[in-house]
Amino acid sequence: MKTIEQLRSSPWTAWLALLLIALIVPLVLGGYLITILTIVCIYAIACIGINLLFGYTGLLSVGHSAFLGIGAYAFGLIAIRFGLGFWPSFCASIIISGIAGFLIGIPALRLKGHYFVLVTLAFAVIINIIMMAWIELTGGAAGLAGAPRPDPIPLPWGDVIRFQSPLSMYYFILFFLVIIFVVSYRLINSLVGKTFIAIRDDENLTQSLGINTMSNKLVSFTISAIIAGIAGALFASYNTVISPDSASFMKGVEIVAYLIIGGAGTLAGPLVGPLIMIAIPEMLQMVPEIRQLLFGIILVLFIIFLPKGIAGEVSFLTSRIKSQPRNV
Amino acid sequence: MNTTSLEISNVSKYFGGLLAISEIDLTIRPGELVSIIGPNGSGKSTLFNVVTGIHRSSSGAIRFNGKDITHMKPYQVTRQGIGRTFQQTAIFRRASVLDNVIIGQLLHTRTAVWGAIFNTRSTRRKEAQTREKARQILSFVNLEDKDSQIAGNLTQEAQKRLSIAIALATEPTLLLLDEPTGGVNIREIDGLIELVEKVRKSGISICLIEHKMRMVMNISDRVIALCYGKKIAEGTPKEVASHEQVVKAYLGECNAAPGK
Repeated sequence: MKTIEQLRSSPWTAWLALLLIALIVPLVLGGYLITILTIVCIYAIACIGINLLFGYTGLLSVGHSAFLGIGAYAFGLIAIRFGLGFWPSFCASIIISGIAGFLIGIPALRLKGHYFVLVTLAFAVIINIIMMAWIELTGGAAGLAGAPRPDPIPLPWGDVIRFQSPLSMYYFILFFLVIIFVVSYRLINSLVGKTFIAIRDDENLTQSLGINTMSNKLVSFTISAIIAGIAGALFASYNTVISPDSASFMKGVEIVAYLIIGGAGTLAGPLVGPLIMIAIPEMLQMVPEIRQLLFGIILVLFIIFLPKGIAGEVSFLTSRIKSQPRNV
Repeated sequence: MNTTSLEISNVSKYFGGLLAISEIDLTIRPGELVSIIGPNGSGKSTLFNVVTGIHRSSSGAIRFNGKDITHMKPYQVTRQGIGRTFQQTAIFRRASVLDNVIIGQLLHTRTAVWGAIFNTRSTRRKEAQTREKARQILSFVNLEDKDSQIAGNLTQEAQKRLSIAIALATEPTLLLLDEPTGGVNIREIDGLIELVEKVRKSGISICLIEHKMRMVMNISDRVIALCYGKKIAEGTPKEVASHEQVVKAYLGECNAAPGK
């Protein structure tokens, strides 16, 4: 009995149950749902990156579409032009997005508040223009075709896991989502995460405690750029075609919006936001224009009435319910 | 041997055309408790902000333990061993009391991203040490039973104690306290004065901004009086209290005032 009680109260039980659902549901229901959930996973990864930066460090970047694009193009270009395999290209794309994040972070983080947001936006637009205009490198508006799927993984008993079917790609991307989720969980709960949160809550006080807030913000920015780059590379591998569209600056705004709706500064927020905002409109077969309109209205309503987002409000309510008996 | 801890010489600060502090000289020797008094707007907090690097001084030099800190950034000044509290009690309101003090110690715990991601043994050990140290500091300021509370829910008095605990966590040799009893219930002031004296007895020099004259007179070794950014008096509490210009300044008249 005691162990059941412990299992019930452990936060990991809920996460494992969620993972189990994520593993089984597409297997059972299949079809179009797999495509939707794959896209949800890719956005969730990008949202985790933005969550570290915006939710926990308090720095709002609407330009992370640039790092999605840099990750995707770096992966695709290295694989196609240099003929390297999936893993070398993938690792290189991670390193390149990290370096890009670091180099952009240095000047951008000197600015604060709205000015920082504007610089990230400008950066995203510039990167997008480069993708369109540098036709010899990127293929211009037509994009790049032929980004590789992951290499088949041989199993010890002779079978081989291939990544040609949508379902196998879904599991592959889900695997990365889980890893990145655990990494962000560990980071947030470490002293590094406490430093980020301290900067978010009171940068002046944090600085007066002998903490170099600039370098910590740069670390947070770089990590979030790397995570966005991973999301971009995974998308490139999944879609096999890369176009400037997939890194338009509106994507960067969307990621932030998903996070706000899901709950910035919460663990579940980056998962809940994309799930609700991508899966539901897809399943209702909404016309894109109406979707955009509703999306805007929902975002405004959330910012006014539920600024903590879905996950934030739920945890707020449950903590109130839990603390109720003590107050009485 | 150099026995001076903090040495402010001829420091001025302009905000645009406004002279906030003017040609201030001040030294604080190890183990000393020096109070800065003066009417509102006389430049007391500005002086703290210039020393700690929040504002850059317009002229003059600041040395600490023989090292030039005039142009250091706030975090670098803290690393030299100068801790501070703020007039508007600055704490991390959303974090727990214990976490507040843990954050205060972060400059002494090298945090590495890799260690955090892989949750290595040395990282966990470091975290445990930090937590232990934080509890010691909390018991020093008598907040040990409130460690799991959210800082923003503490009483004003407890928040003042916590802000001092956070500053102590940086392991300063000089502590700048900006109105540690400001906005606190009269009955609770004595407890905070006791804490300030306790900090001093532990070997930390203190520079105090304070309005409550009774407190200043009782605990200070020396008192500096500012008016319109100028030092108008310096000496023992008794000397300064009976200084003609200080009395006038507190009655609203100031010889240092421009145009008078």
